[in-house]
Amino acid sequence: MSGNRPEAGGSGGPQAASPGSPVSVEEARGLFAAELTESEAAASPRGGFLPADVAALKVRWLGKKQGVVTALLARLKEVPKEEKSAFGAGVNALKQEVEARLDALEAEALARAAALAEAAKAVDVTLPPRVPPVGRLHPLTVVRRRIEASFRGLGYEIADGPEIETDWYNFESLNFPPDHPARDAVDTFFVEGGGTGRDALLLRTHTSPVQMRTMESRKPPIRVLCPGRVYRKDDIDPRHSPVFHQMEGLVVDEGITFAHLRGTLAAFAKSFFGGRAEVRLAPTFFPFVEPGVDCAVSCAFCEKGCRICSFSGWIEIMGAGMVHPNVLAAAGIDPERYTGFAFGMGIDRITMLLHGIPDLRLLFENDVRFLDRTWS
Amino acid sequence: MKFRLEWLGQYLPGELPDLATVRRRLTDVGFIVEGTEGEGGDAVLDVELTANRPDGMNHRGLAREAACALGREFRDVAAPAPAEGPVAAASLATVTIEEPALCSRYSARVVEGVRVREASAAVQGRLQALGMNPISSPVDATNHVLWDLGQPLHAFDLDTLSKGADGLPAIVVRRARAGETLVTLDGVERTLSPEHLVIADAERPVALAGVMGGLHTAITPSTTRVLLESAHFSATAVRKTARLHGMHTDASHRFERGTDPATTVEGLNRVTALLVADCGGTVARGVIDTLAREIPPKVVKLRHARLVSFLGMDVPFARCVEILTALAFGVAEVEPGVLSVTVPSWRIDVDQECDLIEEVIRVVGYGALPEALPPPFNPTWSEPILAREDRARDLLAAAGFVEACSYSFVSADENAPFVSAVEGSAPVISNALGEPFTTMRSTPVIGLLRAARHNVRRGLSDLALFEVGRSYALVAGHPVESRRAAVLLHGRRGTHWAAESRPADFYDGSGAVAALFAGFGAASPELRPATIPFLAPGRSAEVVADGVVVGWVGVLSGALATAWDLGEAVVADVDVAAIPVPPPPSNVEMPSRFPGSDVDLTVTHPLTMAWKTLESAVRNGAPAELLRVDAKYLWRGAGVADGFVKTTLTVAFGSQERSLGRDEINRWRDEAARRLLLVPDTAVDGIA
Repeated sequence: MSGNRPEAGGSGGPQAASPGSPVSVEEARGLFAAELTESEAAASPRGGFLPADVAALKVRWLGKKQGVVTALLARLKEVPKEEKSAFGAGVNALKQEVEARLDALEAEALARAAALAEAAKAVDVTLPPRVPPVGRLHPLTVVRRRIEASFRGLGYEIADGPEIETDWYNFESLNFPPDHPARDAVDTFFVEGGGTGRDALLLRTHTSPVQMRTMESRKPPIRVLCPGRVYRKDDIDPRHSPVFHQMEGLVVDEGITFAHLRGTLAAFAKSFFGGRAEVRLAPTFFPFVEPGVDCAVSCAFCEKGCRICSFSGWIEIMGAGMVHPNVLAAAGIDPERYTGFAFGMGIDRITMLLHGIPDLRLLFENDVRFLDRTWS
Repeated sequence: MKFRLEWLGQYLPGELPDLATVRRRLTDVGFIVEGTEGEGGDAVLDVELTANRPDGMNHRGLAREAACALGREFRDVAAPAPAEGPVAAASLATVTIEEPALCSRYSARVVEGVRVREASAAVQGRLQALGMNPISSPVDATNHVLWDLGQPLHAFDLDTLSKGADGLPAIVVRRARAGETLVTLDGVERTLSPEHLVIADAERPVALAGVMGGLHTAITPSTTRVLLESAHFSATAVRKTARLHGMHTDASHRFERGTDPATTVEGLNRVTALLVADCGGTVARGVIDTLAREIPPKVVKLRHARLVSFLGMDVPFARCVEILTALAFGVAEVEPGVLSVTVPSWRIDVDQECDLIEEVIRVVGYGALPEALPPPFNPTWSEPILAREDRARDLLAAAGFVEACSYSFVSADENAPFVSAVEGSAPVISNALGEPFTTMRSTPVIGLLRAARHNVRRGLSDLALFEVGRSYALVAGHPVESRRAAVLLHGRRGTHWAAESRPADFYDGSGAVAALFAGFGAASPELRPATIPFLAPGRSAEVVADGVVVGWVGVLSGALATAWDLGEAVVADVDVAAIPVPPPPSNVEMPSRFPGSDVDLTVTHPLTMAWKTLESAVRNGAPAELLRVDAKYLWRGAGVADGFVKTTLTVAFGSQERSLGRDEINRWRDEAARRLLLVPDTAVDGIA
């Protein structure tokens, strides 16, 4: 398109190309060719004929009253008898030529007009689009779901429990006796208005109370995962928060072994961190499991050591162990017949590791520049 | 906790083990070496000890673990009784235990003719390596034995202890009496109660048992007669005392976790030998050894078959015996494959068979365990509320909201305006970190307000946030947690160059709620005008489903918006569990083949008249072919009287069976118009 604008009416059309009417077919044919050339020249600044131009030519040449060809045909009665047949044939041939030529021009003109109309609607496609509001899920939601998906693949059900717990569920039933130093490791928030001793109300310090609640309400075989919010009395800094999120797992059945725990953690590591991930278990102490385990996974971010793994090649991601017989007994499950394992990991910590998040506070500050991205 | 390699080596005959190997093997068996300093004998290991292993919190105990882990010999260092003088200790002081449950044994020696001096260079050097400042021989000697054997000790100036009826300085282990006081070594006067276990003389408390001695009975440069205490206190008693006073000492750290009840005399002999070597003096004859309660050794059965089935791997029987023996467990095979295991007195952590299995596997190494998976399990259930919460998250994110995650606690002031959002009272944290973390939120909206303020302060004021989380309340003393979907809108909506943006308003909030309900397939909730203290009057509503209030939506009250440094904010909070979610469709009808027809009606009515009134007038008495009534356009201004508004309604008709005729649609429209006219103060365009 040359940028010409279509004009209405086809001014400058081919009318009055010649003052007199042609008297012979040949003269008419010549005139038609000349007028067409002239009209095309006139239309060329606009990119060629538009439908109105062609319509005007049609009226001038084929119009039923004043059309040149019509007029020529009207002269038939003036033509000597012996020439009538040839004249008539000549005029008809001319008529067909003119019709064919103008029809072709008309089709071209219509296409040109349509193209011009489209061009008039053109937009700057590089302008910012009208984006419908795009919502986002929080990274903790996305990572939690990924962990859940890994364990769902291993047949886990998802369980839930309250955040305001009693001392019994959070500590005592989990083999933390009252006044035991193991409680020192977990600085606990207490809630006013609860009872005393095992009825004291507190904010759960781990998702492990759901172990006890699950074992109370359901009989083995048990295989559950419990995500949730937990609380510890830590001051806020780049690595600590009084509120964080854990994922607890519990398996209880006949014949569950320590090797099953190792295999399960290894299967999770491979599913979550990639097929080359390995786990390393080390002895540790949690009152509600025996033996207790610290579980580290081979650093997925380096080959030889990096800042994320503190140049050790291993990242500690969870605690685990075989469910303590005292805990099974407290839940009314025969520890001689049944064994089980449990594990717990920090969702916030894994989220920070996965995404290289430098400061835990970003997860709770809700800066939309932080949140407005795809986490997966 | 710090340990010196040379000191450990004292218990490992032969060449000093290599530091790196010790570090690795101790970590493997559960004593995590977090770092090391120095080299050779001077090397110091920084070890993280778990609360269940107080027996490892001294050089002898850790050396025993190291020997087992390294497969080396452990050899104890003999602590012979010191040379004694002719005077019997029992003739110089008396010891009485009034609380046998809290103190099983109290062993004491007396040394006379002491001149208080510095400790030997060897003792000073070791303590300095562990980060302690030498003070004087009596103090340093007790510290040395604490770090050597794990037995905490205390030295009294015998001449400061008041005498009992028998004329002898008295040591009485008893509960404090209400109102008694004691100035401890740190110079703090402490008021005591019967909850405290104390060491008293004939008249008054002279030490907080197992925690700290008293100032007035402490060793001074002029002390000549010393009474040395080596006792076994109950862990609970010491812990209670220490906690009541917020105290934590090397002694209390060990007593709270459990000391070896059988090592009091051994510790006493070692400290006496050190003291006399530095300060001279004569050791009185005999130990005043008061045994209030015998603590019998624990005997635990270990079945090898159980060990194998529990671990899921075989550890040869002989290897189990070897490991337990190396760790000083007494082992006897009472029937084939079954061991009767006598637990050493210092292993307060071993009570059951699983504890013994752990002993074996931690020395074998967790790395030796095979990676097996439990048999397949067919999940048949999952907590439905969690699935519902996640669906709400997806729906709100799909509706263009960004998910936030905020603390469950808020300040009392922040929570107060919203208390009516929940039944009951807001739970109060009794030991909070301070504001703004003292109460549990009554609605997640408070967290969203904090998030909004954070963003607005950073110049990001066009916000659409949500959080699906809990609200908390105490109802008659019982905690109630409800699952909420909360949203917040702030600033402009629809910012694009092609059209003018507009501020977020009430209908954005009610729209989010409607989207949530629609996403769950629930019928649109009723929005009932309501006066809600934290929302702007006239722009607030209760969300009602099946006649029950399940949430609220509205414009935040101006006062609260100002308090939060925000512009106009639209907020909503819905109980996710209360959304009446229908079961998925089970009998789907074909959509009608016949196109329906829409007709418009324009009604002029008072501003105070609710849309619901108009809608009901159209619906009530309408034929079954009526499908929908929508508001198409509202006009106020030119041509409409003050206090009135012109509303154009679109009424949609359709049929499952047939095409509708123009005549019947017009008739229905006219009937609807006449019903509208029956509503007082209305006029319908085109209908008289």
